[in-house]
Amino acid sequence: MTHQPGVQRDPAMALLDIYDSALPEVYGYLLPRCGARVLAEDLTAETFLAAVGASRRDGAREPTVGWLIGIARHKLVDHWRRAEREQRGLRVLSHERTEPDDPWDARLDGLLARQILAELAPHHRAALTLRYLDGLPVPEVAAALGRTVHASEALLVRARIAFRRAYESHTDVPDGGLR
Amino acid sequence: MTDPLDFLRTPAMPVAPDPQFAAALRARLERAFLDPKGPAMPIEISTAQTAQLRTLTPYLAVADARQAIEFYAAAFGAELRGEPYLMPDGRIGHAELAVRDCVLMLADESPESDHISPATRGGSVGSMLLQVPDVDAAVGAAVARGATLTRPVADYDHGRNGVVLDPFGYRWIISAAPAASAPAAPAGEPVKHGDVSYLTYEMPDSGLAREFYGAVLGWRFTPGRVPDGWNIEGTRPMSGLAGGRPAALSSVYEVADLDLALRAVREQGGDDSDPTDQPYGRIADCTDNQGVRFSLLETDPAAD
Repeated sequence: MTHQPGVQRDPAMALLDIYDSALPEVYGYLLPRCGARVLAEDLTAETFLAAVGASRRDGAREPTVGWLIGIARHKLVDHWRRAEREQRGLRVLSHERTEPDDPWDARLDGLLARQILAELAPHHRAALTLRYLDGLPVPEVAAALGRTVHASEALLVRARIAFRRAYESHTDVPDGGLR
Repeated sequence: MTDPLDFLRTPAMPVAPDPQFAAALRARLERAFLDPKGPAMPIEISTAQTAQLRTLTPYLAVADARQAIEFYAAAFGAELRGEPYLMPDGRIGHAELAVRDCVLMLADESPESDHISPATRGGSVGSMLLQVPDVDAAVGAAVARGATLTRPVADYDHGRNGVVLDPFGYRWIISAAPAASAPAAPAGEPVKHGDVSYLTYEMPDSGLAREFYGAVLGWRFTPGRVPDGWNIEGTRPMSGLAGGRPAALSSVYEVADLDLALRAVREQGGDDSDPTDQPYGRIADCTDNQGVRFSLLETDPAAD
């Protein structure tokens, strides 16, 4: 595509140019984190549509895969936040207690670990996904979740405990005896 | 220290989605590009998530729904809630906008069901009242995008407001939203027998508690009558903070007749203490039949 000098091109058009190569990247980021195809497709669509609006708003930005994955991460966090709001009423009665975060020495089974992750409460799942699947440092987890670093650390501690408890109850092995 | 969860690290690996999905999404994006007036989709969490259907929801007929979506977005900060429903002939059959916490529905005119805009009928037929934090800014934005100013912004007894007629024929009274602090405890609503009339939050460190709840809940404190006691302003029920104690919440319940109530406490296996006279009424500390502490208050109706 050629452009006449002086004719301003819709900045969002650049997004269509990279659509074919960027789509599998964005979908490939979302799918293992959602664990469900339909949800991953919905969030992929939301991500690209949001990108249209965003590139119109702050025009100069040339869209990249990294930028799109950043938007996809927002969409994922928003999704978990909605899910958490729906479940909040149920969790009020089983108030979480923070217990000491004992060192945990285990080698995890990948399939089971993913199954456990999918069963956790959305806010725990969100924190663990950003911290471990994405490998973000805690301050970036905090920024993505819109919490303070201190609150995110506390949430991660509770999320790890919840994960470990669920994992150990599935493997049914007393402490630390995992192969 | 190794963390077994580090094992979960999942670098983003490209995965080709269902080709049908890929093609449909490409078509949606192309549509979004081809409509230069297409509303910008918000990435941030927006009011669209707090907006919900309330008891009454306006449903506007407009001569050009795409322009109307654009106008209400620019003038009133409205955001699309989901995809508009397109009719086979290209008209928008249904669109929902989030306007702060409310939903505004609109559609292109449909003469077949007599859903016709006021502009087409020949004039506005009523008004919408919109409350915004900044009246002048909202009226300015509406006029800048083609609304007609029919009553300039001014201060009235019931608040600052102005009136515009939008390009689709709707008349909007744009008025200042009540300040967040305004809906304080209504004065003069008396507590009844059995109500909680006062709560005391007992905390180990009142300084830390004031810092925390001040930041989280916006509570404001004034020094209270007792050492390390603090009034919490404007909450319902009336509340106070007492420092230097193990964390606990203690309630004062209102009773119509304190002496009768104290007799009932004893009859039901609780303990009572002698009432004391306070400027606001007579109060007695009690424990119930399980040892839980509480207080009973007979408010002095003459007290302020």
